[in-house]
Amino acid sequence: MLLLLQQVVNGLIIGSTYAVVAVGFSMVFTVLRVINFAHPDIFMLGMFAGLAAGTYVSHSFVVVLVLGALGAGVAGLVLERLVIRPLRGRDVLMTLIATLGVAIMLENGMALLKGPDPVPYPALLGQAALGLGGIRIGERQLANFAISLLVLALASYYVRATRYGRATRAIAERPDVAAAFGVNVDVISRITVVLASMMAGVAAVSVGALYGSASAFVGLLYGLKSFVVMLVAGNRYFEGVMAVALGLGVLEALVTGYISSSLSDAVAFFMLIAVLYFRPNGLFGSYAA
Amino acid sequence: MASFGFWEPIIIFSLLNLIFTAGLYITALSGQLSMATAAFGGIGGYVSAVLTTNFDWPFLPAIAAAALAGAVLGGLLAALTIRMRDFILKLTTLAFGEAMAVIAFNIPYLGGANGFSGIPLYTTMTDIVIAALLAIYIAWRFDGSRLGFASRAVRDDPLAASANGVSIRQTRIITFMLGSAIICAGGALAAHYVLLVTPSQMGFYYSLNYIIFLLFGGLQVLWGPLLASVLLTAAPEVLRFTSEYRLILYGLIIVMVVLWRPDGLLTRKKGEGSALNPLGPRAPDPLT
Repeated sequence: MLLLLQQVVNGLIIGSTYAVVAVGFSMVFTVLRVINFAHPDIFMLGMFAGLAAGTYVSHSFVVVLVLGALGAGVAGLVLERLVIRPLRGRDVLMTLIATLGVAIMLENGMALLKGPDPVPYPALLGQAALGLGGIRIGERQLANFAISLLVLALASYYVRATRYGRATRAIAERPDVAAAFGVNVDVISRITVVLASMMAGVAAVSVGALYGSASAFVGLLYGLKSFVVMLVAGNRYFEGVMAVALGLGVLEALVTGYISSSLSDAVAFFMLIAVLYFRPNGLFGSYAA
Repeated sequence: MASFGFWEPIIIFSLLNLIFTAGLYITALSGQLSMATAAFGGIGGYVSAVLTTNFDWPFLPAIAAAALAGAVLGGLLAALTIRMRDFILKLTTLAFGEAMAVIAFNIPYLGGANGFSGIPLYTTMTDIVIAALLAIYIAWRFDGSRLGFASRAVRDDPLAASANGVSIRQTRIITFMLGSAIICAGGALAAHYVLLVTPSQMGFYYSLNYIIFLLFGGLQVLWGPLLASVLLTAAPEVLRFTSEYRLILYGLIIVMVVLWRPDGLLTRKKGEGSALNPLGPRAPDPLT
């Protein structure tokens, strides 16, 4: 029982990071109809922006988080201008391939700068662990989880309760009608990409602090998974994407704990096959691509 | 055949990828852009490897068995996805490929994560050249055959195609079977050259390579994807003088082609569409 609870806790912590990356991924897809495979590498850039900030600027966790988010946001802005904007309206698969080309460039470019092996991350948080009735939660894990939830809550507030969020939802529904009602599709699209990138940047810094290392190829782990999470959930409600990401984290942790770690990566794909078979538009509907 | 030294592996891998791409082209012509190419290649490799290593089959029958396995699995996958919309079909083939990789991973008989090794070296340069020529010939004849035209009709407008007496079901299943058989035979050839088949090489990122070849070369003309498969396989090697920058350049080339040549490297002048642009190069905007 204790093992079960411990695995669930671990799974929720991993899943919260999946959720932040997958929600950003899904926001970009829903608003722009672009499968942004460079998104996980924006995450990677945010991680290294945080690394640079932690090394040269300050050891304060908050400062590093903000600078990591800014770094990722700037990268997102450049990506939007150079690649994503010209791709709008193209076949979804072509957008996937072009952004995958960007991902290859970013990963190998960073590997060239920092070497292909993981580099140590500045120690931003303590190593202390809380004991909660036998379950151990590290301070870093707790920080990672809290930050991810905060980011998700802010994203939810933005999309549900602000004017810009309403415009974003309108574009997701019908871009042409939204434009006819005076929504500036270009501006909202740019804001969406930058916001998604900044969310990824925050998550990246907290993951870097959690594991104490940063790697140029960290995006590979999150890329395919956030894609699958979006497909399983369907991109209609982004709360659905969060729920599926958390659920995937827990399922993977349980499979790792009880069956074998080699099968844990397969969980996502079995989920995908089952969902595509029974609910071909995702659990919560949509993705008319 | 003469030795090509440093160039030999590059030529062999280029031609292997050409065979795979020819198979994928046939499958994609009827509108089924399979994202499981590498998985089929791996299946072909496993079949041939097991038959030659553990059952002492000779080379040619083993390749034939691999092609047969590919045809059967391809037919099944086509039958499973026959009613699916385009986007969902792609995703199902993606999930199928990953599932195959996981299954191979968890069968101890096939060597699990380490893959199946100890495969005899059979494939020579001559074999590869003959196989590539054969694949090109099949794809070329298919391209201009009744079946090829039926496939394009199914891809561009299933309703009009069936109204004109083309069976969507039959066309899609046959093209998927033919394409997968070629891919599996290519996978078998690869297995007897690399001497190792692993589950990891069956994954999505490998399959994506072949889709890149296809879209990079252009889906309208057979020679586009074939040219692209050879160019892009050789590119990282030819760019080796730029050493560490080569993968960055590779990514850059892909981005630039997608942005600046939307229909791929080689295109027809006018009129005909492609899987990605069914109404032709200058499709009218439905809103105007």
